[in-house]
Amino acid sequence: MKNNLAVGLIAVAAASLSSTAMAEPAKVLRILTAGGEWTDAVQKCVDAPFTEKYGIKVELETPAGFAKLAGKNQAGNVDVALMDLETTELERAQASGMLDPIDWAAVAPFEMFPDAQKPYGFAHTYFSTIMAWRPDAKAPANWQEFFDTENFPGKRALPDYPGYVLAFAALADGVPPDELFPLDLDRAFKTLERVKGDVIWWSAGGQVAQLLDDNEAQYAIGWSGRIVNKDTLAHSFVGGMLETSWWGVPKGSDPAMQEAAMLYLHEYSDPEKQACVAQYISYTGPSPALDPLLPQDRLAQFPNYKANRDVQFVTDGKWWYDNADEVERRWQEFKLTQ
Amino acid sequence: MSNQTQTGKVVPGRYLARTKPATRRFSGRLPSGFVWVLPLLLLVGLVFNLPLLMTAASSLVDQKTGAFTLGNFEQVAASKVYLPVVWRTIRIALVVSFACALIGYPLAYWMTRLSRRGQTVALAIIVTSFWVSILVRTYAWIVILGNSGIVNRFLMASGLTETPVEFLYNELGVAIGMINVLLPFMLLPLFAAMLQVDPRLRQIAFTMGASSFQFFWRVFFPLTLPALGATFILISILSLGFYITPAILGGGKVPLIANMLDILINQFPRWNLAAAISLVLLVLTVGLFVVYQHLRRVE
Repeated sequence: MKNNLAVGLIAVAAASLSSTAMAEPAKVLRILTAGGEWTDAVQKCVDAPFTEKYGIKVELETPAGFAKLAGKNQAGNVDVALMDLETTELERAQASGMLDPIDWAAVAPFEMFPDAQKPYGFAHTYFSTIMAWRPDAKAPANWQEFFDTENFPGKRALPDYPGYVLAFAALADGVPPDELFPLDLDRAFKTLERVKGDVIWWSAGGQVAQLLDDNEAQYAIGWSGRIVNKDTLAHSFVGGMLETSWWGVPKGSDPAMQEAAMLYLHEYSDPEKQACVAQYISYTGPSPALDPLLPQDRLAQFPNYKANRDVQFVTDGKWWYDNADEVERRWQEFKLTQ
Repeated sequence: MSNQTQTGKVVPGRYLARTKPATRRFSGRLPSGFVWVLPLLLLVGLVFNLPLLMTAASSLVDQKTGAFTLGNFEQVAASKVYLPVVWRTIRIALVVSFACALIGYPLAYWMTRLSRRGQTVALAIIVTSFWVSILVRTYAWIVILGNSGIVNRFLMASGLTETPVEFLYNELGVAIGMINVLLPFMLLPLFAAMLQVDPRLRQIAFTMGASSFQFFWRVFFPLTLPALGATFILISILSLGFYITPAILGGGKVPLIANMLDILINQFPRWNLAAAISLVLLVLTVGLFVVYQHLRRVE
């Protein structure tokens, strides 16, 4: 009897709490996300169990990008409650007032790295941008050698995105790693001007392995998750760029859908789910409890693994945000007039 | 003399018959059956013309302040970045159109000389290429012309070159890919136009003592020239909008207008500038279309 009463009281309390704190979450959660192998893994490891648990369908729109968010915002039609953002994009979207804060009380996450929880950002993935090459090509030890087309002959497949190539180009011109930011654009573009005849620019992450395998390029800069698990390619984390990808909540999206988004983030903070994603693609999430759950023979493939973390640098999202206009102008000039 | 009076009589009659629809158009009365076209007109107006007008309008808006401005067009004209891409697009469009004409004309002519069955087979082969995704057709060129592609492997095995020839990741690669995609658009209209040429003309010309060569250059070619001109323009128009081919076979080094718009829309949100460039592209295309229509009328 007493027991029943207690249960009843808790139920009532819970019901009143939930009715005051949150409305009924939406039946469909729309997410703007990157696409590719990582999104496929998230669909299997997070989306499917989430739908099963809450009965909320997940709909994806790909690819993401600040320009898409700004487009939805300008059109007054923000139809996604979560989106994938790079650090720079998070900075930019937040400064432009295009994000709502994350309701961390509603998310009630599993334990996360302290720097993975921001008022407007939920760090979902640590990934690296690293060098890779064909095993039959001479192995470069650093960025000077990577961009040395005379002693390391061959084509370079480089990202067609300024944020993923300019820092390496500056390092290749001899900028000391600890003075990388503020980035010296002149020195970065000097390197690119020098090698541009030997460059193939890629725009989709999967092209890297394809171009190297087809012997179209002998060296490449690419995203670690698309490289480290390929036996046919050599790679190195030395001098790589460690980056964080974030979930953000676009401002103006349906509040009921945002409720669903908080439930989704809770599920995403579960180390089991992150370990599951890591099985398919070598990227890890924000849970400190993740390490024992990972495939132990593949630890060296993960960007956030200590030995890898120590040889990489972290990109400065603030600098990219502050200098977006200048980077944009210089990049267009370089890319469109070649 | 009698010939002259005869044409004198006939021409006014023809003239009247031809201008009749034109005068009706201006008289304000709608052609019968207009009601049935109305839903389509509405659809096209709503989902095509209206967004186009809105794009045009946004090209006159300042991205930061939202005020009216001609600044976007000034930026296009003054920048040393945007206009060269427009010129390159036009240049490649012309090269591709010329190449399509050079390859397509003899091929279409050859097809007219085939048996009916042969023509059906040839047409089927051409039309099948429409069913293969443009992405696949474009990527296939890497297999053929890439560093370890069939052609380079043959060239190196036969000792003609020591290092692979660079067919791809330059303007040549982009042009080859575009010609491949656009050739059917040249072939089909040309073939149709060539079939229209009265076959008896050949017999007449031969009866009059013309050689095959003379018949071709003095009768057949002039008769099909307007069709060739029209399809040439058609190919040029289509070339202006290419995106995938330069992205893949250009290795990101041969940006055309569409690739530039992609950068300005998706990488950097500069839509008003992108709208201005789109408008430049639209004017260019409409200009070519006017020429096309003119040639079609001649034809």
